[in-house]
Amino acid sequence: MQTISIRTRELPPANAGRVLVVEDEFLIRMIVSDYLREIGYTVVEACSGDEAVAVLRSGVLFDVVFTDVRMPGSTDGLALLAYVRATQPGLPVVVTSGHLLPALALAGGAVEFLAKPCGLEQVAEALCAATSGR
Amino acid sequence: MSSDAEAGGLKDAVLIVDGDVLSRHAIADYLRHCGYSVVEAASTDEAMTAITELSLGIDVILCDVAAIGERSGFELARWVRENRPGLEVRLAASAEGAATFAAELCQTGPHLDLPYEPGAVIDYIRQLRAARDRV
Repeated sequence: MQTISIRTRELPPANAGRVLVVEDEFLIRMIVSDYLREIGYTVVEACSGDEAVAVLRSGVLFDVVFTDVRMPGSTDGLALLAYVRATQPGLPVVVTSGHLLPALALAGGAVEFLAKPCGLEQVAEALCAATSGR
Repeated sequence: MSSDAEAGGLKDAVLIVDGDVLSRHAIADYLRHCGYSVVEAASTDEAMTAITELSLGIDVILCDVAAIGERSGFELARWVRENRPGLEVRLAASAEGAATFAAELCQTGPHLDLPYEPGAVIDYIRQLRAARDRV
């Protein structure tokens, strides 16, 4: 299982934004989501790309999507990225993977790529940078 | 109804087991806003990981009877009752799942309705806390 290390950081203001976390590894999803809530994000957790698409289709609005690539189901992270680009072009997507080359995600329209394993602080910084221009 | 523990600021940790992301998020978000610590599991497999591998101090499990995974919702509830006797588990069923639920009712006890009615969930958790405080 991939791991994400925990590091401490100064907490940003509350209400940092709404993020959709898409990760099939339960422990990683929980750790990342709990951390993002602690630093002020409102988080919706999806365990697959298919779940993420269901959430996006429901009309819930997000400031940023944070997604893994390799996930079970019919929608992997790159397919989710393509779906977001097609349906909500202004919604930034941060991609993370332990397998994918960054260029592939960035060519697909991701605003940032994080190689696993990555620190929680890196995740927060990437999400903050992704949403800073919105 | 409010127990002494809740009055003192201590609230239960709740594990939500539901394969429907919108249903799962709705009740999880509500409980978080009410001050509860919530873990979201999309399957019984994830729930087993949360129960067996983590020191989360989960007090209550709310599990959809139709939850996906190696174990059914019923089987998860049975496993918890046999192996984690201090951990409360309540099954939840939609109208469609109620018939299946009724067939197993004698083994699994009363249930919550899906979609969750937030007030009923809070009442249930508080009742459990009050019962534990009386012991």
